[in-house]
Amino acid sequence: MSAVAGSEPKALSAGYMAWYRFSRNPAALIGALMVISVILLAIFAPLIAPYPDDVGAKVDFRSRHMAPDWAHWMGTDKVGRDILTRVIFGFRVSLLLVIGVLGVAVPVGAVLGMLAGYFSGAVEKIISGFTNVMLAIPPLVMALAIGNVLEPNLVNAMLAITFLWWTWHARLVYRVSKSIAAEDYIEAARLAGASHWHILTREILPNCVSVISVKTTLDAAFVILFGATLSFLGLGVKPPTPDLGTMVADGRQFLPEMWWGVLGPGFAIFYATLGFNLLGDGLRDMFDVEV
Amino acid sequence: MSALLQIKDLDVSFMTYGYRSHILKSVSLEVPEGGRVALIGETGSGKSVTSKAVLGTLPDNATVEGGSIRFAGDDLLNLPQSKRDTLKGTAFSIIMQDPLSSFNPVFRIGRHLDDVIYFADRRLGEKSDAANRRQRIHTVLRQVQLADPERICRAYPSQLSGGMRQRVLIALALLHQPKLLIADEPGTALDVTTQDEIMKLINRLVSDNGLTLLMITHNLGVVRKMADDIYVMRKGEIVEHGPLATIFQTPQQAYTKQLIAAIPPLYGPKVVDQKPVEAETVIELAAVSKVFEERFLFTRGAGHTAVRDVSLKIRRGEIFGLAGESGSGKTTVARMIMGLIRPSSGQVVVDGRDVSQAGRDGAFRRKIQIVYQNPGTSLNPKRTVGQTLTVPLQFSGGGRGALNERIEKLLAQVELPAHFTSKYPHELSGGQKQRVAIARALAADPEILVLDEPTSALDVSVQKNVIDLLHRLRDELGLTFLFISHDLSLMRNFCSQIAIMLKGEIVEAGEPRTVFGDPQHPYTRALIAAVPVMSDAEDNLKPKTSRKDQQQYLADAVT
Repeated sequence: MSAVAGSEPKALSAGYMAWYRFSRNPAALIGALMVISVILLAIFAPLIAPYPDDVGAKVDFRSRHMAPDWAHWMGTDKVGRDILTRVIFGFRVSLLLVIGVLGVAVPVGAVLGMLAGYFSGAVEKIISGFTNVMLAIPPLVMALAIGNVLEPNLVNAMLAITFLWWTWHARLVYRVSKSIAAEDYIEAARLAGASHWHILTREILPNCVSVISVKTTLDAAFVILFGATLSFLGLGVKPPTPDLGTMVADGRQFLPEMWWGVLGPGFAIFYATLGFNLLGDGLRDMFDVEV
Repeated sequence: MSALLQIKDLDVSFMTYGYRSHILKSVSLEVPEGGRVALIGETGSGKSVTSKAVLGTLPDNATVEGGSIRFAGDDLLNLPQSKRDTLKGTAFSIIMQDPLSSFNPVFRIGRHLDDVIYFADRRLGEKSDAANRRQRIHTVLRQVQLADPERICRAYPSQLSGGMRQRVLIALALLHQPKLLIADEPGTALDVTTQDEIMKLINRLVSDNGLTLLMITHNLGVVRKMADDIYVMRKGEIVEHGPLATIFQTPQQAYTKQLIAAIPPLYGPKVVDQKPVEAETVIELAAVSKVFEERFLFTRGAGHTAVRDVSLKIRRGEIFGLAGESGSGKTTVARMIMGLIRPSSGQVVVDGRDVSQAGRDGAFRRKIQIVYQNPGTSLNPKRTVGQTLTVPLQFSGGGRGALNERIEKLLAQVELPAHFTSKYPHELSGGQKQRVAIARALAADPEILVLDEPTSALDVSVQKNVIDLLHRLRDELGLTFLFISHDLSLMRNFCSQIAIMLKGEIVEAGEPRTVFGDPQHPYTRALIAAVPVMSDAEDNLKPKTSRKDQQQYLADAVT
């Protein structure tokens, strides 16, 4: 037998393979850069924004409705505030919304989904039945109803969206954990005497992490969009706090002559949404999961 | 005889994740016109890559770095793409391995066949109308012994049995009367009896139609019946080749010898008899039946009897083999013994206690552990070997230090080095994974081990090591094994008792020596007769079976 040395297929670590797939995907890299830029802009808004004073209820009628120029890259709004400044601060509201909504909806959905997927019988029927009922309600109608009952502000908008959002995660995690629960290694763990808690947290959860993180990233885009929709309809953040949806709604009144009133904030929504979507798609290819 | 297919110094490499791996290393191989050549080797040895290189279906990340492939005088690698495409399916075609996943479940069988014939005709620049195509399809289906082509064409893939699907796959390969037929592990996914039928069919087709066969397989018993020349492949190289008789009788290379030695004999002087055990009964099943009920929304559906009236006794320290084809109820019996499902009627007693009464008694449950068939799915991919082993060890007490010591001892018991604790399943080979799975079962300190085809997913040479390991463990730890398998030659040598199951019933049971020496039930005879063996002497010792018996008991026997 001739000796064969050093030519076997190399055993590569999972992390390396995932990173390799991600780095070969230019769209994902661009998405990651876009998301990072949005996050940095939001964090350092007071340092970056050209006119930090324009965030509040400042009124300067001399400079109202000015078209974009070198001093105001995105023009000014109806009371003379710099739109670029307000867009940069608007990212803060959007990201707060994302963190607030997904910070609650994802864990709640994941826990319920895992419980339903692992335990069969009554637990499964009740959780998945309730989730299905929730999914049957049109989200915008539901959010409008909640928004009308409660006072329109950031926290209530968050509540309204969260109330609907966990269902999608419950659905997804339910599907994934149900198939994992049928694997041989779960049965083996049970035969070895492992508790339900151990199986849920140590055996099933690690296998759900990739799917949850991909879904969460993709969701961030939709939450930004949904939040903008709500504030566009007047159910979101109250003025004068800068919010992308509210700004589009404000600018709409002066269309088509003052087109820059909607272009700047509209572009910002587009930019953030696209960034999260590209990143999410890239992560999905990287982890090789279906969401 | 001239060579129909001639591969010379073929080098193929793959780029994966930025690393280049050399998969085929100057592979040379000749298939004479009308000959039957087998390419044998283990998983990852490059057999399938070789066939893909011939067919021109290598994946995008593969590069042919050197060498030539000549088919009937044409240099395939230098042919223009369009010319090469016309050869596919017409000059040579392939019989796929997996009869289930090779079909799109939403299309009828007729559609699959028609598509192939239609596009191949187009590539050849021939016009054909639907009636003509249908006639050709029916002819081919009759050739592969599917008696009612009309019905087969109308059926969806899921409505056909595994054996019938495999026949349709063969028909697909034959549609354009190719000169060279490449068979990639035909029938390995099927029961031995079905596999036997498929082998006979391919042999007949080859001799009747004057085809040339290139067979890719890891099963040496199959090779013996289907090839004249053998090429042994290992790690991308041809290590030995020659006529069948020479390779089988006087293998030169250590690797070939190892492959041949790893095949357990069914008959003859090399057969090992396991001593019957004299000890108390540890598992007893009394008239156990299991009916699975299909329940629809409100109505009660028809019941499906998976196990009917099974009674058996297993003594302590015994290796009890439960044999039968897929769907015969072997696994259901094992799961009832483990208390995972309850019998519909009858009683399962383990160690003096009724399993269905034991309830959630953890200590009692841990007495029975299982080793699954597929080590790839029985280990959690996100947990290291150490973490996997910790779970059952938690109950044996002791601190952190004691735990690590126990893990090391377990790994030593299954002959793995101690540093494997920090490895993840994907870093291990199939045999190593199965050893970890065995260690996990042992960690719970069991008395009984259920082995659910523990070696069928492993390569033959690894199989032997795992079986040796299991033997040693039984002797050292005094375990009782319930061994579920359809590999009769393995069971002949490994088990001290054996029971043959057919459609949920035990039709024959006893010591392997008597069951194999003088099988009583016609099904047992048919089953044993279908096992591929390594020599004519063994073939002659097999029980005689009649065509009538085969048709009565085997799902896929066709006249």
